[in-house]
Amino acid sequence: MTTTWKNPISAFDPEKPVEEVVTNDYLSPQSQWDATRSYNVPTPPVGRLRYYHKWAGHGDKLWHRLRYWPTRRRVLDISGGYNSKTLRRQKTIEDKRPIWWILSLLALAIAPFFIPENQQNALLTAGAVFGIYAAINLCWMLIIGTAGIYSLATYAVVGAAAYGSAYMSIHMGLPWWAMPLVGSVVGLVFGIIIAIPATRLEGFYYALLTLGLVELCRVYVIQSREFGSATGGLYGADSYIPQDWPQHAQLLLGYYAGLVLMILGLFLFRFVNGKRLGRVLRMAPEKREAFAEATGVNYRAARIQVFLISSLALGFIGGFYSAHFRGAAPSLFSFDTMLLSLAMLVIGGLGRAEGAVLGTLIVVFIDRVLVDWGPMRFVLIGTLMLLVVLFLRGGLFGIKEQFRAWRDKKKSENRSSRAEKGGEMLPEEATETENKDIIYFRRFDKMQRDFLKKLITPEIIEEHRKRPLGQHSEALERVLTYFRRQPQNDKYAITVIEPFKSYRLVALSGTRGVAPRLVEDKTYGSPDEAYHALFLRRVQDLLEA
Amino acid sequence: MNWSFVIANAITLACIYGTLAIGISITWSSLGLINMAYGFIFALSGYGAWLAAQYISANGFVVMGAGILTGAVGGMLVCALAFIPIHDKPNFTVRGMIATLAVSLVGNQALLWYFGPRAKSLPPLFGSSQTSIFGVVMTADKIGAVVSSVVLLSAVLLWMRSSRRGLEIRAMMMNPHAAAIVGIGVRRTGFYVMALTGGLAGLASVLLSQTYYVGPFSGITPMVKGLSVALCGGLGSVFGAVIAAALLGINEAMTSVVFGGQYVLITQFALIILILLIRPRGIAGILDKAREA
Repeated sequence: MTTTWKNPISAFDPEKPVEEVVTNDYLSPQSQWDATRSYNVPTPPVGRLRYYHKWAGHGDKLWHRLRYWPTRRRVLDISGGYNSKTLRRQKTIEDKRPIWWILSLLALAIAPFFIPENQQNALLTAGAVFGIYAAINLCWMLIIGTAGIYSLATYAVVGAAAYGSAYMSIHMGLPWWAMPLVGSVVGLVFGIIIAIPATRLEGFYYALLTLGLVELCRVYVIQSREFGSATGGLYGADSYIPQDWPQHAQLLLGYYAGLVLMILGLFLFRFVNGKRLGRVLRMAPEKREAFAEATGVNYRAARIQVFLISSLALGFIGGFYSAHFRGAAPSLFSFDTMLLSLAMLVIGGLGRAEGAVLGTLIVVFIDRVLVDWGPMRFVLIGTLMLLVVLFLRGGLFGIKEQFRAWRDKKKSENRSSRAEKGGEMLPEEATETENKDIIYFRRFDKMQRDFLKKLITPEIIEEHRKRPLGQHSEALERVLTYFRRQPQNDKYAITVIEPFKSYRLVALSGTRGVAPRLVEDKTYGSPDEAYHALFLRRVQDLLEA
Repeated sequence: MNWSFVIANAITLACIYGTLAIGISITWSSLGLINMAYGFIFALSGYGAWLAAQYISANGFVVMGAGILTGAVGGMLVCALAFIPIHDKPNFTVRGMIATLAVSLVGNQALLWYFGPRAKSLPPLFGSSQTSIFGVVMTADKIGAVVSSVVLLSAVLLWMRSSRRGLEIRAMMMNPHAAAIVGIGVRRTGFYVMALTGGLAGLASVLLSQTYYVGPFSGITPMVKGLSVALCGGLGSVFGAVIAAALLGINEAMTSVVFGGQYVLITQFALIILILLIRPRGIAGILDKAREA
């Protein structure tokens, strides 16, 4: 820590021994500069910036890319451009969701060939149920997410269509291919009936009313003899699954039919939510309806339109349901079915197709595959739903967005806590200051003081005590030069009370004609003592500043 | 047609539904929470009363007290799970409703898991005597139901009118933000309100269990009915809930006499839809003064 300094001036007086003083190690002034200028914001290692992979190749002739009918959309949203540093051409895939969709649908399509033999029955049945429920949830998502109508009567529509088509199939011999069509008609009629109160009621009033409607349907179906109150459901309808096929083939057919239904549901979602109706309704979110109406958006008509389209589709699914299960059961109307379905929507995230599908996958897996758990599996689903609602704003697919928002918040907090960077002058003061040199001077001064503080050690104080005047070691010399360069006001000085006998410390006023003031009562017997006392005072001021 | 029977039934049903509906109504207007876990609280307090009847005493007061207490505890549980964590978060109304639905799902299944699917029955609380009032023959359980619900409801409403806590709750019902500004603790009041409404659900549960049974899912139908009464009366209005309860009670009793029991729900919902089409915010609800959640 310490080193010896030999006074180079000693060479002029070779008769005396070379003066040697213990002093600090050399400390480079550059170190303070580097410490001040370094970027010391804590930077988490993961995902500080959004990363888009840059593909090579030129991005011109973007209009020649593949588009799919009947829209003018491109399959992938690719933007072309130049790398700003290397000026090389590059392409960026802006939205990778189509790739994920295709991969997951492919995985679902080949999944049956990778299921272990002993679980084939359970998993294929669950897969078919997943397809049907995913389609229902997509339509429901259109109603809740796109149209913003809090209807809980989705299963009333599905159930009514299922019961209607099953009834007609049993009593009038309707073939299986006509059942979804009949179901659509029933669903549309039912949808029109349910839509009437939706024109007048708002939000929760409507939700509670539809909840009542489902309960009404359930009680009616349970009590009605025509709809199988005795047998616990209406069974014996025609089915698209041939009875004489082997069981495995029947299950496979059911699975792929469910998958096709889900894909149809996805197309419907895309064509309603992603096109004109969806655009119109995005203009009129909850509590901003008045503004939308003022700008000429007829959101009521759009909502009812979406509602009726979804009801039609739900009726279709209901007909398919009864053709798949050869009938319909009152459990379609039960409060628990509604709850589970809502859990699917909420877990995945309201308002997105991928949310509906993923939520359905999770919930159907827990519900149908973990059957051994008994009632505990519903407890698990409910807990999952509660956790998602309490902690996530947009379900599982909203995590990314929420995380980014949180990270941005943290970043800006860090940024605001880094106020010292501006140096001695506050930002407001800096903008008010006429002479901008002062800002830079103060910043430099702070840095210099920070550096000099590190130089103050007992060694240099001792060195100064021994010989206040004359050549000093490098560290002490830097400190003294700084002290001597300070402005005149409040600069310490020594006044002579009686030559060679009595000295006192004063502080200069800095103004011509105004006498200096005394700083302490002490008198010093020699000039060197007074010099050292003055030095200590300055050192104290420096360390306190 | 036996008019006295119709009237007696109508009054009893109106009292029980009114109790449920006032609970839902107070929760909505003071906390902005649609308590879909009301059915769970209802079933839970039924089980609480049943446990008290099994292990403590079959005395009517003990059973009823146990039911009300369990209901209050259940209400506070729902408040701690579904109201406290998210009441100041964005999109609270929807998230709160979904959270209470989740609580109801978990709670009902836990009840099913713990107590099994078999229904339990409570001992008769009010004996089995019969009296005739103005020529109307009333059985003891009906009189007991009417008297106890009217007495307890009036006690609750008086408490809300006269006590400091009641004043806080009413302030929250009028304007939650202003209430928070003048120093009324939102979370604390949330616990009072949920305990109070949970106690009302417990009372209704004990009273309704005189006719029906206690089961893990026995709360759903009463909750739907209570919700529709609250809706019909106008969410947030105690007076409207009373009128709606009376209307729907009369309707239910009349329908079951004139057409038969299976048409009760149909006529009820036809009536509710009719009322809501005429007055979209319910009987006593005013469009502009509705709570901005």
